[in-house]
Parts: sequence; C-alpha cells; structure tokens
Amino acid sequence: MMTVMNVLPPRISRLLNRLPRDMLPDLEEIRIREGRPLEITVQGRFHYLDADGQPTRSADRAYRPDREDCRILMDLLTNHSVYTLEEELKRGYITVSGGHRVGLAGKTVLEQGRVKHLKEIASFNIRIAREVRGAARELMPKLYDAEAGTIRHTLIVSPPQQGKTTLIRDIARALSTGDIAREDGAPSPPLKVGIVDERSEIAACIKGVPTFDVGPRTDVLDGCPKAEGMMMMIRAMSPDVIIVDEIGRPEDAEAIHEALHAGIRIVATAHGQSFRDIAGRPMLRELVSEQIFQRYVVIGHTYGIGRVFRIYDRDGRMIDAMIVRNAHA
Amino acid sequence: MLDLIGALCVLFAGTALGFSISARYADRPKQLRLMLHALQRLETEIAYGRTPLPEALARIAEQMGEPLAALFRNAAAQMDGTRPTDEAWRNAVQACWKQTAMKAPEQDVLIRLGQSLGGSDSEDQIKHLRLAMRMLKMEEENAAEDQRKYAKMWKSLGVLCGALVVILVF
Repeated sequence: MMTVMNVLPPRISRLLNRLPRDMLPDLEEIRIREGRPLEITVQGRFHYLDADGQPTRSADRAYRPDREDCRILMDLLTNHSVYTLEEELKRGYITVSGGHRVGLAGKTVLEQGRVKHLKEIASFNIRIAREVRGAARELMPKLYDAEAGTIRHTLIVSPPQQGKTTLIRDIARALSTGDIAREDGAPSPPLKVGIVDERSEIAACIKGVPTFDVGPRTDVLDGCPKAEGMMMMIRAMSPDVIIVDEIGRPEDAEAIHEALHAGIRIVATAHGQSFRDIAGRPMLRELVSEQIFQRYVVIGHTYGIGRVFRIYDRDGRMIDAMIVRNAHA
Repeated sequence: MLDLIGALCVLFAGTALGFSISARYADRPKQLRLMLHALQRLETEIAYGRTPLPEALARIAEQMGEPLAALFRNAAAQMDGTRPTDEAWRNAVQACWKQTAMKAPEQDVLIRLGQSLGGSDSEDQIKHLRLAMRMLKMEEENAAEDQRKYAKMWKSLGVLCGALVVILVF
C-alpha cells in the first residue's frame, strides 16, 4: 500500500495519509481527475475526499486536484520520461513500482485510425495491488491433481476488482514452493512455474526481478504479449505450469493448445460474472466446449466479508463452493 | 620609484580587465558548443537508449566539465517528485546560469526546451531537441562572430586604457 504513495503528488499523498485508519488497508482505487473531485474506492464503495482527507459524499466539499497535481503525478508515473512508456500509453495504462496499475484517459492521437499516443492526460485510475500470501490456500487442494502431482488446467473467472490477480499470484507462489495442503496430506513437489505477465501486475517486476513473492522456481516474462509469451515460455523455459492473466483473444487459444501438447498445465484468468458468461464468449466458448480446462473458479462479490469461490468441473457442473474471509475483515 | 610601481599596477589592472572580458567572449561559443554536444547526447539517450530523463541528465553531467555539468546535475536532482519536469529544468538553468558565460537568448532556448522535455513520445522529443539545437547553433555562430570582433579588441583595449590612464596621471 505504502508504495503507491511514492507515485502520488505531495498534496494528494498528504490527504491520503489523513484517511481514517480503518479505510487505508482496504483502499482499492484512487481516482484523480483534473479539476474534479478526488475519489477513492474502499471495499467496492466510492467516496470523495475533502481537503482534510476525510471521506465525504458531497462533491462540492471534495478536494479537486489541479493541473499541477496532475502534471506532477504524470511525471512521477513516467519518471519524467513519457518516451519510455510509449507502448503502455497506447494501451492506456501503466504499471508502476509495487505492481499498481494506473489507467489513463486523455486525448488520443491517431495514426491511420489507430491510437498512436495518449496526451493531455487528465484522468488517472490508480488500482492498488496487494500481495496476499495464502490467498489461494483453501482453494489449492481443490485444484490439485494428486495423481499427476501438479495443478489441473484452471480458469479463474471474475469481474474486475475481485482479486483474480492476487489469487493467481498466490497460486504461482504455492506451486513454485510446493506450499499446498493436499487433501491426502502428502507433500507436493515444488514445480517450475512460468508467468507471462503482460501487464507486469502478477509479479510486478522491476528491471526483470519480481517484487512480489511468486516462488523460488518461477520465471517471469515481463511485459510480453500473452500468446507470444506462452510460446516463448514453452520453447525456452520448460515450465511445468504456465500462469497467464486475462486471456480472451484467438491467438491465446492457439498458445494454450500448444502448451497442452507440451504437457504443460495452464492457469489462466478471464473477465466474467459466471460460468455461463464465459461459456458464451467467442474464444472462451471454444476452450470450454473442447473441455480444455478441468476446473473453473468463479469469484463472487461479498463486499467486506471475504470472497466466494465457486468451483466447476470441466462440464460446467458446480462441484464445490467456499467462502474465504478477508484476513483483516 | 613608487610612481613606477603605481603605473605598472594600473597598466596591469587594465590588461587583466581586458583579458577577462575577452575570455568571456571566448567562453560563450565554447560553452554553447559543449551544450550542443550535451543535447546531442540527450537525443541519443532518449531516442535510442530510452533512458529515463533524470538518469540521462545525470549521465551527461558525469561526462561534462563545469560549469555545464552543474546544470545537468542540478536538473536531475530537482526531479524528485515535488515539481513538474519543466519547473525542475528551469530552476536548474536559472541557478547555474551565473556561472556560465552564456547569455539571455540561449537561456530562453533552453527554458523553452524544458517545457517539452520528457513530456511526449520520442519522435516528438527529437523534434524539440533538434529545434533547440538549431537555435543554439545560431547563437553559437553569433557568439563566434562576436568573439572574432570583440575578443581581440577588448584585449588591446584593456592594455591601451591602462596606458592611457598612466599617461594622463603621470
């Protein structure tokens, strides 16, 4: 959490430091829009912040970040060097030290009808990344293939902001360290894990080295497009398990097939509300009907209490459900 | 005897003044050329190295002599997250300007460059840097011209003024 303060302009980090104590650990998003009220999201609910850092419902009393705040923020995010982040700006978000993802909106510059660049950026959405060691502890035994000594092909489905990335980060850590409480009580061997971290969110690498604990036997391809990255992993790093965030493009399916042929297990995530939701999505539908994934985990809303994991088998039958309470709730 | 010493002192002072003014004329084109080299390096760092600006400025400072090294070092140090890039750069330019032999026109060019430094894609950065370099080049030509015209003149003028005072007084 504190790492996010390093990229905030002095005035805004001062406000956030005055936030009521119980809100800070649950801070999910900070939204900064030039000339408009400063907004934060805590446990799925939004609040404005007034000039004393106190949450308020009234937009009139809220602190409004000015042009200077936004320029300093942009300079901090880019380290005074927009030219080092051209690709990221094209995609509309950058990942900063600590794994926090910052979404951006401003004026787009087009070239032949495609976004070439983003300038005059006036909206920032800072999503706070959190490392929750043990986030997958209860779930892991359900996904484990005791016979093969590895994880089953798993797809994790949830709407944004429900902890998909936190979950697969911990899955990577658990597999890589062999930290799995198997149902039969046997030890689980540490596996070679390959993470294709297109958005630098899973491992939050700085200069190639993960800042989050993703396990001792884990290799990370940082900032690499998923499909290409999966192929590179298969060819170069011989992983036992490949972990990849937010699949959904046709070339991703191709790479997943390739990994299957190489005997590599896949753990992936996808945006969605339910099992039926993803069974209806173009590329995912194919993967579902081919029964590629042996387990689906759907993460459900439970604001403040914890999370609901619903586990489905390859045919889409629900085989288990569990509530995992938040550590601090 | 005392007269002679006094006369020599006056003559020496005049000469020294002339030489120091003349040296400023010689330093300006030299420093402008160094500044051009520095911006050239900055362009390389940005366009090919994709080096973050503070790091690029610090690297350039390491490879330059004073007083220009101080300017780049100061600029890199000012980019500490409490002020926008252009302000950091402007502060550094203004703080170090007195120690250089450069004049107002090139200061304007540099401050204007600061307004776009780091704030856009590399293509755009190159354009701004090239523009600044073109304008500095012009100033450098002016400065060299001035040096030709005035450097020698000030040297002899210093000696001659000293001599004149000596003649008038004694």
